Amino acid sequence: MTTAETLADADETELIRLEREVARRHLDKFPYLAVVWAFANLAVWLSLWPLVFMGIVPLWLGFLVATLNVSLSYLPSHEAQHDIIAKPGSKLRWLNEAVGHLSLIPLVLPYRLARLTHLDHHKYANHPELDPDFSTHAKSPLHAIWKSILNRQPRANGGLNTYGDTAARHERFDILFEGILYQIAFYGILFALAWSGYAIEAALLWWLPRHIGLTYIQYYLSWAPHHPGDEQGRYRNTRGFRAVLGNIGSMGMQYHIIHHLHPRIPLYRTPKAYWDMKPILEARGCRIDNL
Amino acid sequence: MEKVIRSVFYIGPLIFGFGFLTPLIAQIIVAVGWTPPFGLSALATGLIVGGALGVIAQIRGRWV
Repeated sequence: MTTAETLADADETELIRLEREVARRHLDKFPYLAVVWAFANLAVWLSLWPLVFMGIVPLWLGFLVATLNVSLSYLPSHEAQHDIIAKPGSKLRWLNEAVGHLSLIPLVLPYRLARLTHLDHHKYANHPELDPDFSTHAKSPLHAIWKSILNRQPRANGGLNTYGDTAARHERFDILFEGILYQIAFYGILFALAWSGYAIEAALLWWLPRHIGLTYIQYYLSWAPHHPGDEQGRYRNTRGFRAVLGNIGSMGMQYHIIHHLHPRIPLYRTPKAYWDMKPILEARGCRIDNL
Repeated sequence: MEKVIRSVFYIGPLIFGFGFLTPLIAQIIVAVGWTPPFGLSALATGLIVGGALGVIAQIRGRWV
């Protein structure tokens, strides 16, 4: 069995070989869960609207379910952003793109913008100017939640605002325009619902769940796995950690280090890949706090 | 076009205050059965409170 001790004398070539060997065992697995999750989550969220409007589901319950839906809407698209469902040119590519676009609707985040910025995040993780998620860096858990809220204020520069800057830096004004259209559509729908007598429903099925979901997503998908985020480089720009809410409560982010090393390993395989790769990560000096 | 979009986004807090918070506050007042003071209607109260919050957020650049 490979342990950190037996790898102590392994050279760079050997470590790379072993790491790739482990990664290969977890790559190219079809993420059934992510596909079902994407469509089921969207279907539940969409069905809440008529069910609440007709009084079949009470609004308080609709609010709780909608908050869960919005919080769960990012990860299936994240699998699509890395072409995990289907690579470009393959038969099921349409499914990859459908999951990518549709799952993000409750979050009001255009897929192409999410993909562009997320790939930049991988490329420049923890770089103050080039990492689109750098503004989520914070000193403590409470500070991270507060920063997420502050980044959504009207004249804030961080958070999703940096996504627009990233699209502009890449001169992808088509993607930037798409982001603007999403915002106009979102607020247009909210205002129309509000002035039609459904303001409370609009607030509790979309507006507030989106704020709570964004905070949760930015906390567990961005802040926690990169904290303290003061180092760059393949083996030090993220970490393994033990989340208070566990692996499911943190949406699989305890093993985020595996995702950054091998982004095409599906989310559901990252725990197994982590335990297989742990001695190599230790030999590399990766941060695997309490995990 | 770009100027128009920038201007609309710049006054976002005002638009949100009048466009969303006004009806939201009015409908909450009706839902909880509260009677606004000075004989104000629920919508007028929503307009005053929602509009004021929007103006404050517009000036401060933040809601919180």
